[in-house]
Parts: sequence; structure tokens; C-alpha cells
Amino acid sequence: MLLGPPLLAALLAAAVKPYRRFVGWTNALLSLVSLGAAVVLWRHILAGEVLTSGPGEFLRADALSTLLALCVSVVGALAAWLGPGMGGDDGYDGAQARRFRIFANLFTSMMLFAVVSNNVGFMWIAIEATTITSAMLIPLHVTKASVEASWKYILIGSVGIALAFGGTVLGYFDFVNMAGHREAALNWTVLMASAPRLHPQVIQLAFVFILIGYGTKAGLAPMHTWLPDAHSEAPAPLSAMMSGVLLAVALYAVIRWEAVVNAAVGTKFTDDLFIAMGLLSLAIGAFSLVVQRNYKRMLAYSSIEHTGLICVGLALGPLGMFAAMLHLLNHTLAKSTMFFLAGRVLQRYRTTEISGVSGLLAAMPWTGGLFAAGVLAVIGLPPFGLFISEFALFRAGFAAGRPWLMGLVLALLAVAFVSMIGHLNRMLYGAPAAGVTVGEGSAWPLVPLGLCMAALVVLGLTLPAPLRTLLTRIVEIAGS
Amino acid sequence: MDSVFSQLSVMGSSLALIFGLILLWRRGVTAYISAFTWQSRVITAVTVVVAYFGHDHELYWVAGALFILKGLVIPRLLRRMERRFAAERELEPYVNTATSLVISGLLVLFGYAITRPLVALSQLPTRAGMPLAMGLVLVSLFVIVSRKKALTQVIGFLMLENGLALLAVLGTYGIPLIVELGVFLDVLMGFLVMQIFVYQIHETFESIDVEQLNRLRH
Repeated sequence: MLLGPPLLAALLAAAVKPYRRFVGWTNALLSLVSLGAAVVLWRHILAGEVLTSGPGEFLRADALSTLLALCVSVVGALAAWLGPGMGGDDGYDGAQARRFRIFANLFTSMMLFAVVSNNVGFMWIAIEATTITSAMLIPLHVTKASVEASWKYILIGSVGIALAFGGTVLGYFDFVNMAGHREAALNWTVLMASAPRLHPQVIQLAFVFILIGYGTKAGLAPMHTWLPDAHSEAPAPLSAMMSGVLLAVALYAVIRWEAVVNAAVGTKFTDDLFIAMGLLSLAIGAFSLVVQRNYKRMLAYSSIEHTGLICVGLALGPLGMFAAMLHLLNHTLAKSTMFFLAGRVLQRYRTTEISGVSGLLAAMPWTGGLFAAGVLAVIGLPPFGLFISEFALFRAGFAAGRPWLMGLVLALLAVAFVSMIGHLNRMLYGAPAAGVTVGEGSAWPLVPLGLCMAALVVLGLTLPAPLRTLLTRIVEIAGS
Repeated sequence: MDSVFSQLSVMGSSLALIFGLILLWRRGVTAYISAFTWQSRVITAVTVVVAYFGHDHELYWVAGALFILKGLVIPRLLRRMERRFAAERELEPYVNTATSLVISGLLVLFGYAITRPLVALSQLPTRAGMPLAMGLVLVSLFVIVSRKKALTQVIGFLMLENGLALLAVLGTYGIPLIVELGVFLDVLMGFLVMQIFVYQIHETFESIDVEQLNRLRH
């Protein structure tokens, strides 16, 4: 029920040629089925069950899978409802809408498959497939910039993911040498069970490959160079999916392996790597924000910054893991909303330059208002959820006895804070540029985006009990 | 018996690595494509050898898929691309030939260094080939970052995949068949998408030199 709907929608879009509007609507409704299935998974987790299915526990949804499945299906639903081909003048023709519907749905189903697959080999295959399907959508409008972005993305992404395959092979090598050939040897549960017997040096080497490989997809510095290009040149719904959940799915793969490595050699090895890469990503993200002249790239660099922050959180023990997972959820909601809003701004102003956008509040009061709220959320102001998760992360850092690290992180967050506020001011106020129509245009897409913002505010004010249980279960799994 | 097996696998890995090095000292795409084709066939042969001596029948299937995909289909597609871009040679790579060869020598040494725990751990007669496979992976990475033509980068990527396939076969007698088939499917799809993009780069920029891909900065 989770994986079927997007696949079905992709098949439908592929079968109907030329594109018809009902395909988009069917897709939108099917996306809600997926979302419902993810919620059902959540209820099973709350009841203390771990769902498995297929031969040899082929699919397995524990708490961590469920959180990611929720994130993916929420953003998948947003993309289905707000993507091209739902009627009205959205700047895409029928062929483009059809291509979007095919590949975006395949993309979603591959992400969902990656997070519920028990076999780390299949997890790898699915994540590699996300690169291919999403790359097809970047040059939806063929321009020099989008062709360049898609080439960098497919090349760097594929090479990175190939290295992750190398890591998977090395992990399997270690397992085979310790426990002999077994049919289910690539199953995460089997790996976990035999982790204490793995050879420490080999599994460490494997993890370095894994971290570099999936880290490339997650946008961790210094392998992040494709990210700002791809996220800024992609059409808005795709940017939202890539920035909102693809990064999270790549991190998910890293966390799965982290759990194995931690069980084999203790947490210090992974902690040190996470802190080094997390800090570097934070620093590069924060300082690139200062010099940003393009608002979509601004959002992309902010994603690098937040990925870095999550990574640091992963190194801070159980409290840090809790904070990191909450932050991942918050970031998914905030960043995907922001990219959809940026898409609306781009459609109106026809430029991605910050200097080209002025008087946003006057031209599009609701979009502008939500955009401002989104920026404030992303930089971690109350009453939004990201404030709470960042606060929790700092508490975890101090509890873990790393005050210096936390001081550094805080300074970098402050850099990002100041520069994003500056950019926001330039966009919001002043008079709209000549030739820019005033008024919202079609307003209904703002409803789901507004709902996401409202959810962020709720998460900023309280932590609902079902969510707390889910996150606690995740911390138990990772055992960090 | 084991010594023949071990020698064959080391010889195969060395050949695969040498075919990888051709990308660094030849300039023509034709040579690159033949190098890739022969490298894939050598790896197929290594797989067959491992299947025979290791008594692992699944590996024959893997070898078959490997041969069809990387020994026949992808080379044919590459040649078709080459005919379109015949005039474009790798004239001025970012790093010149002599330096490239020195660097790749160091990379192979580095491959030996990082695979030491693997070789020490493994009991398989094929273990001596693993450092060479790791060397091929590292050299392919270097090809991708130091060459300017999109087509060369694609071939570098394919060789990287070959290196990993070789590593898997030598180290573990192959990962589970079903996963292996998924990997092949991904390689094929990834290659097809890359091919689309190379054509797109050619159409948009009128060349496949990736040096012009410099619009997006900061």
C-alpha cells in the first residue's frame, strides 16, 4: 500500500499520451493513499510491532523507516498536488507535465523502497535509482544552466553512490569472512546480529566508503558541489523533493550502517567522522549563504547547513540522535514548503536573483508572508519546530560534554541567521519591480503549504506523544 | 590447483588495471572504448574462473550478464556516441600524461595500503587481486576528475563500476545474485541517462567539453 500508489501513478502517466489532466488528479489522490499507508505503519510502531513482509523479511518497517516513509510520502503528496499538470497556467506544457508525473512518481517510489528495504543491497539499488529518476527531471526546461546542473548531478551522484556500493561490498566481505555465505547476509537485521563479530578495521574502511558515498547524496561537504546547482535549477516540486527528503533518505542509509559499525567497534569512530563532516558542511553552508545572490541557491545552501547539523546531532549520543531525527522531520517540512514558495516567486518575478525580487509582500502578500515565516523557521527562530530541535541538539551537546563544539556550531548558525535575514529583507520590502503583476494568482496551492507551516508551529509549541514515542523507538534502534 | 586459480585471478586483475591506465596515456576516444570493452571481457573471464574454481554456479549467470551488458551492449552504444563526437579528442586534460601516470602509480600503492586488512583477513585464493581492484577504483576516480570530455568521464565511471564488480568477485565470490542483477539494471539505466545528457550537452553547448560547464558558481 505504501509502494504501490506512486508506481501505479507513474505507469498511468506513462500509458496516457498525450498528457491529460485526470492523470495529475489520480496521481494526487494516489499520493494520499501512500500517506495513509505511512500513517498505518506509524500506528503499528506505536503498538510496538515491526512490520515485515516478503520472502526472507525482504521489506521491513521499523521506527526509523516509518519516520522516513512519513517524510517521503508527505513531500510526495505535496509534489503530486502542486506539481505541473493540475490545470491553470503553471508554465509547463503537456509533455513536460507527463514527464514530471512519470519520473517524480518513480522517484518517490524508489525513495520509499529504499527506506523499507531490509536488504542493504536493495537499499543501495533504490538510492542509485533515485539519482537516475531525479536527474531526468532537472532539465525539464532545457537551458544551459539546467543541462550543466543535471550533468554535475548525475556524474557526481553516480560516482558517490558507486563508492557507497564499494562500502556495501566491503561490509559484505567482512560478513562473509566472519560468518560464511548466507542467503540473507545483506539483510540489515542479520548484519546487526553479527556486528560484534565483524573485523573492526574492515568494517571501518567499509564505513568510510559508505559515508563518502551516501554523504555525496546527502550533500555533506566536501562532496556537496553538485547540490546547489541541482537544487536551484530543478523545477520547484523536484527541488522540494530533493532538498526535503532525498537528503534525508541518503542520511537514512548512513544511519543504518552507522548502527552496524557502532555495534562492531563502538561509537567513537563514527562520532568523530560525523562531527568532522558535519562541521565542515555547516561552515560551508553558512559562509556560502553570506555571499548568495540567488534565492533558490540560498535555500540549497541552507539545506547543506542543516544536513551538517543533523550529522553533528548523530554524534551526540542518544539525546543527540533524538534531536537529529526531530530536526530531520522539521527540516523536511520547512524546506519543501520553501522550495514550493520559491517556485511561486520565480514564476511571478521570472528571476532567481535576490536583487530582482523586491516588494514581495506587496506583490504576493500570502506567498510573501509564508516565505518570510519559512525563512524565520529555517534559521531556527521560535515558535517553529526547528528552534526546538536545535535547542534539543544543543542540550545533547552539553550533556555529551562538548561545549566547544556547541559554541562553534552556534557561531556558524549565527552567521547563517544574519545573512538569511538580510536576504529576506531585500526581497520582502520595497516596491515590486515594473512589469510584475500584483495579486496572488491561483491561491489554492497555498493551502497545503500553509498547513505545513502550521504543522511546524505545532511542532514548535509541543511534541505530540505519538511522535515522541516514534523518535524514542528510533533512538533505541540506532543504539548510539 | 589453488595456485593456478590465484595466479589467474591476479593476472586478470592486473590486466583490468592496465586497461584502466590506458585512459591516462592515450588521447583518442576510440582507444578508451576498446580499453573499456577489453577490461569488461577480462573481468568476465575472472568471474568465470572464480565460478569454476570456487564451484559457484550463480557466478556463471553474473558473468553472462556482465559480458552481454558491459562487453557488448554498452561498448556498442559508446561507439555510436563516438561517431557523433569523433572530432573531439582529449587534447588538454587538467593533468598532463606524465603526472597522471605518476599519480596513478601512487594511487595503486594507496590501494595496497588500504586493502591490507582485507588481504590479511581473507582466506580466499583470490585475495591477492583485491588491492589491484581497489587500485582500479581509485585510478578511475582520478580519470573522472582530471579529464575534460564528458564522454571520457562516462567511461571513467564505467571503469569505476568495473573495479567494484571485480572487488566483489575477488573478495566475496560475488554478492547475492538478485542484488547483482539489480546493480546491473542500475548501471544500464544510469548509463542511458548519462548518454542522454551527453547528447544534451552537445546540443546546448555544441561540444562535450565540460570546461564550459561553469555558469553555476557560488
